[in-house]
Amino acid sequence: MAGKTIVVTSGKGGVGKTTTVANLGTTLAKNKYSVVMIDTDIGLRNLDVVMGLENRIVYNLVDIIEGKCRKEQAMIRDRKLPNLFMIPAAQTREKNSINPEQMKELCSSLAAEFDYVMIDCPAGIEQGFKNAIAGADNALVVTTPEVSAIRDADRVIGLLEAAMLKHISLIINRLNVKMVKKGDMMSTEDIISLLSVPLLGVVPESDEVVVSTNRGVPLVHDRGSKAGAAFRRIAARLNGENLPPEEDGSHGFFGRMKRLIWN
Amino acid sequence: MVSSWGETSPEGRLESIDLIAHLIVFSAFFGLFQAQWANVMSLAETPPVKVKADRNGITLVPDPAATFEAITAFMDERLAQSRDFFHETQMVLDLRTRPMRTDEISALCEKLYEKSKVKVVEVRLSDDLSFSVEGDLRKPSAPKSGGREPENSAPLIVRNTCRSGVRIVSPSDCVVLGDVNPGAEIIAQGDVVVFGTLRGLAHAGAGGERTARIWALSIRPNQIRIADLVAVPPRGEKPAPNRYEVAEIQNDVIQVITI
Repeated sequence: MAGKTIVVTSGKGGVGKTTTVANLGTTLAKNKYSVVMIDTDIGLRNLDVVMGLENRIVYNLVDIIEGKCRKEQAMIRDRKLPNLFMIPAAQTREKNSINPEQMKELCSSLAAEFDYVMIDCPAGIEQGFKNAIAGADNALVVTTPEVSAIRDADRVIGLLEAAMLKHISLIINRLNVKMVKKGDMMSTEDIISLLSVPLLGVVPESDEVVVSTNRGVPLVHDRGSKAGAAFRRIAARLNGENLPPEEDGSHGFFGRMKRLIWN
Repeated sequence: MVSSWGETSPEGRLESIDLIAHLIVFSAFFGLFQAQWANVMSLAETPPVKVKADRNGITLVPDPAATFEAITAFMDERLAQSRDFFHETQMVLDLRTRPMRTDEISALCEKLYEKSKVKVVEVRLSDDLSFSVEGDLRKPSAPKSGGREPENSAPLIVRNTCRSGVRIVSPSDCVVLGDVNPGAEIIAQGDVVVFGTLRGLAHAGAGGERTARIWALSIRPNQIRIADLVAVPPRGEKPAPNRYEVAEIQNDVIQVITI
């Protein structure tokens, strides 16, 4: 049976797409699925850094598409998990080096061999975005609970719907529960009422993300991390499990009073 | 303005041409028609695109069962065969029965232009919703002192939430059954009615009609415009309305009344 191709996109930069791809890919691989992650951010590649595999890059995505190598030669196996692979982007090329049709072909040939194909989309809505969504049939939109990220996520969801992508879900990243309790940050309900797409999960704000990126080891390897636990729940929901939604502190006293006055 | 099939039918020419010439014309025309018909029949039982010609021009109606490749191949052939007939015409693309993705629509429009300089001026997405490829819809002529022109009275109904980046232009009223998110624009010659929260931009009375109003269950926009006036919401948060809100011009200023 063909695997699922999921594109992780956001519109706004810096909200956590690459972190999400790295952690979800790792979690799914730990659960014994075969996963390949593709970095389509040509010119500004980051997935290799977050996964700690930057020293092992020989061939990249553009080489596969131009026919300079086979896709097996460009796929880098993860250091810890034998069923997790990554295809890095090219750092010295530009986004118009590949086009949507080529991405679509590559993704369908990968979906035939893997259970999950995770595509890390670059920020923006131009050529890089169009390339990344071409091969996908599911989309995860990542946003943070602030106005500008939500505006951009709304635009991106509109573009995904226009491209007739079938399944679009939302991940809210960097939620600060204390601020939501005080009423300083938008709550999950506020965000969903604006974006109107099903929520896949909420990842709390965590200092560990920076540390794990610097070390090149995705968060989910560390059992104690809260953000890691959130990613594990999201991976479970991706597989169809029905876990209850996370608490986000919007039901605290001050949060409710402020909301009553505002709304 | 394209002449329709009806005008060149043999029957119309019967009286004005003498018998022999008439026979020659008729058989030549019939031969041409036969050739076209044979070609259409050889492609498939139903052609991937119906080319409808009527008083207003040519409309292309793609078949719901046809693949995009079949549609483009068919159009290629038709345009190649009847190059002069379709040259520089304006066409309308009717997608009500067979929706297409935005990239497919632009690819098809480009191909039509490349082949025979055919301009797709309008794309019909549903009975009420169509978008004009040229740019803004033409504004209707200035209303007479009695009121609006009767032919423009049917409102444009948008049956989903308008996300950021969506721009809707209506030559009459516009009704949105959903929210208008920040970054979306609704521009209407008449009233704007939002059955949801208006958070984006709404411009009612875009042609200068100062009696136009904006209605919404909740008006908390980036900016609202009525006719030639612009207004921004006051600073600070405000309580949610119980039922609905209306924005209208009173004393030369846009006022929002909460009900």
